[in-house]
Amino acid sequence: MSLHRLLYALFAIVIGFSPLSAFAHKESDAYLTLRTDTANDHVMHGQWDIALRDLDYAIGLDSRHDGTITWGEVKAQRKVIEEYALSRLEVKGDGLTCAMQPTGQKIDEHTDGAYAVILFDAVCDKNIPSKLTVVYRLMYDLDPYHRGIVTIHAGDKIAGAVLAPSDPVASLNLREPDRWGEFKSFVTDGIWHIWTGIDHILFLLSLLLPAVLIRRRLQPRGDGWRASTALAETSGAFMVLTTQPPQYRWEASPRFWPACLDVIKVVTAFSLSHSVTLSLAVLGIVHLPDRLVESGIALSVMVAALNNIYPVVHKRVWLIAFAFGFIHGLGFASALAGLQLPAGAMAASLGGFSVGVEIGQEAIVLAFLPLAYALRKTWFYQVVLLRWGSLLIIALATGWLVQRAFNILIPGFSTIIPS
Amino acid sequence: MNDTHEGTLDEVRRSSCCVVLRLFFPLLLMLPVPLAAQTVRDAPYIPASDSVVLQLVPPQTDPRVRQFDQLRSDFGAHPQDAAKAVLLATAYVDYGRSTGDARYLGRAMAVIQPFLESPIPPVPVMLIHATIQQSRHFFQASRDELTQILKRDPGNVQALLTLATVAMVQGDHALANRLCVDLTNNAGNFMGMICSASLRSLSGQGAQANALFSYVEDPGPKAPPAIAAWIEGLMADNAARMGLVDQADTHFKKALQLTPGDNFLLADYGEFLIDHGRDKEAIDLVGGDTQSDTSFLVLVTAEKALGLPKAKADITEMDARFRSMDQRGDHVFMREEASYLLHVEHDPKAALNLATQNWRVQRAPKDVRVYLEAALATNDPAAAKPALDFIDSTHLKDVTIDPLVAQLRAAQPDRSALSVSASASRSFSRGSDR
Repeated sequence: MSLHRLLYALFAIVIGFSPLSAFAHKESDAYLTLRTDTANDHVMHGQWDIALRDLDYAIGLDSRHDGTITWGEVKAQRKVIEEYALSRLEVKGDGLTCAMQPTGQKIDEHTDGAYAVILFDAVCDKNIPSKLTVVYRLMYDLDPYHRGIVTIHAGDKIAGAVLAPSDPVASLNLREPDRWGEFKSFVTDGIWHIWTGIDHILFLLSLLLPAVLIRRRLQPRGDGWRASTALAETSGAFMVLTTQPPQYRWEASPRFWPACLDVIKVVTAFSLSHSVTLSLAVLGIVHLPDRLVESGIALSVMVAALNNIYPVVHKRVWLIAFAFGFIHGLGFASALAGLQLPAGAMAASLGGFSVGVEIGQEAIVLAFLPLAYALRKTWFYQVVLLRWGSLLIIALATGWLVQRAFNILIPGFSTIIPS
Repeated sequence: MNDTHEGTLDEVRRSSCCVVLRLFFPLLLMLPVPLAAQTVRDAPYIPASDSVVLQLVPPQTDPRVRQFDQLRSDFGAHPQDAAKAVLLATAYVDYGRSTGDARYLGRAMAVIQPFLESPIPPVPVMLIHATIQQSRHFFQASRDELTQILKRDPGNVQALLTLATVAMVQGDHALANRLCVDLTNNAGNFMGMICSASLRSLSGQGAQANALFSYVEDPGPKAPPAIAAWIEGLMADNAARMGLVDQADTHFKKALQLTPGDNFLLADYGEFLIDHGRDKEAIDLVGGDTQSDTSFLVLVTAEKALGLPKAKADITEMDARFRSMDQRGDHVFMREEASYLLHVEHDPKAALNLATQNWRVQRAPKDVRVYLEAALATNDPAAAKPALDFIDSTHLKDVTIDPLVAQLRAAQPDRSALSVSASASRSFSRGSDR
């Protein structure tokens, strides 16, 4: 037997005799537990135990290379660990991806060593998931024998699955589709959208400010006066700056109900028109580019406020509300599209969102009306709020319009007021 | 991108739901002092201080770890190079084998996987794949792949040897015999003799096996210690089978001197010691290696046999380890678990069930033994018929098995229930020692 042959044979033995051995440790596992929250249907609380040995192999935890992993080393790498792991896990509710938010870091002992525990919330805020899907890709490129041992606690139900790089998806029906719950959740979304959408609020307030007042035209003083009026009317700002008295005067509305009726008209008209375009857009019948819609909304705010300084329409302010309501509806639609509607929940979400927008709007009105009615006779209301306030709104809206229409950023503007 | 392939979660009832016990116990024995200060935990916790050592990993001071880094960067620079992939995968498998850490099988697999996707993968890639398969106890898959390799390269020594070993584990002695001849023709007498001695040891020809082994017992000073240790281990098994206790003991000790801490040898020797009532020695042998499941199993069995108070907690821990293996769907330790169910948990029915399943996968003497023991303990001699037929056809002789065979043959299907029990079947040597 030649030496070469013997050496080859010896090499072969070293590899070949492994069948006689039993491996002393199990292969790589990680344990993923998801729990529904009884108080919040949108959240699943997650706990993910991943072996420190696996994390060390994947991203290197033993920073001192001394063969030990300490709690200090694990803690220091918390962000990296979370980023590595959570980017390899998808939790979906009815096909919509839930946001992963790490909430804590611990350690757990398993039968084969210490595991890093990633605590996280899967926030499925787009809907109330009836079917939960887990897509598991941890270690898929590093260890095909890795298994994700998944346990889901949904109320009284417990379900388990063993996921692998070659079989990464599991689904569980958590509950019957909860359309009413979804409707309610979209109502909340709608309310928040109105309350956090400062442009919608300013549009509405601009239209409502004069509702508790009556505008009286002053007697004309002759032709010369008309000319200067025309000059003054070209700009609300100019009018404020001139010492010349205005050609009209605001008076407090003597009775509550006519003022209230005005408000109702404005609000109803606005609701009617924005509901129409919101529905049409969500159903895909109408589509306008976002830039156009957003610019239109800015323009509507500007016009509404301008009308308080240079009144063109007074008795029929609801017409402005109605006309521009269409463009606001398209704005709501794009917000709703950003929430990603679950298939099959279109009606619930659209209806819920519309109702939410209404409620948000009525709440603003309900807060505004008594206050405005109480203050309507004061100089503060008539000059500071109505005039200066409207001027400020015009300035803001102009800024928005320029930013949105020309897609540019006015330096410093966005820091003062969000667009 | 994702809903194309959906598994459905199996619903399980709360009562049967996996209770993963996370006892801290075994780690106490092997990790440094800061860790030992911890108490038993059963829930996630925040360690007391930054300096707490949580886990030992291969250190950079280990030359094999530095070799991984070298091989990894080589392969990383040439990701299309199958030869470099095979070198890295081989290093992983080898390291996994010597440490008993099965994670390295997966890491090796990840390295070669891209090359397996080609319609005709390179032979060395298939070889390492077959080695991984049999290491994970997928013997049939490994056998199929090795057969493919030998069609392409009939003289491939490594494939011949691996296939011969798989054939012996599967109890296919005819195939093993053919492969031993092929090995002699292709790799010379050295390999042929080891192969054929191993086969004889399994066929009731212990004395001849021992004679053959003694020719190759000293492979020379240049041979890696692992080779000499391997042969000593085979000789120890052969001597034990023949009932030559002292000889077996000597071979085991020599083997362990050559490869201290070898995971397989520790378990094998530990089982031998328990068989001969030397439970205390078994505990001393594996006491420092309790993170290994096989060593821990020896420890628990010995503790239970001695009736030590520590046994209770360790049995709970062993249960947890078996459960976590079950959880991932692994059935690699079926024989070990069957034996554990029989001798530690005293659940002969479950043991027989598992031994029967195990029989479909592997048929080494230890598999025969637990099958017969379980059949006796459940008073179901008919259940062991496949194993008895196997003994008839292979002429297997083993002092741990022969008395079982005699009892089973003597047992009438309906009677003799109470005279035979699992513990009685183990007493072939224990009884005399005590």
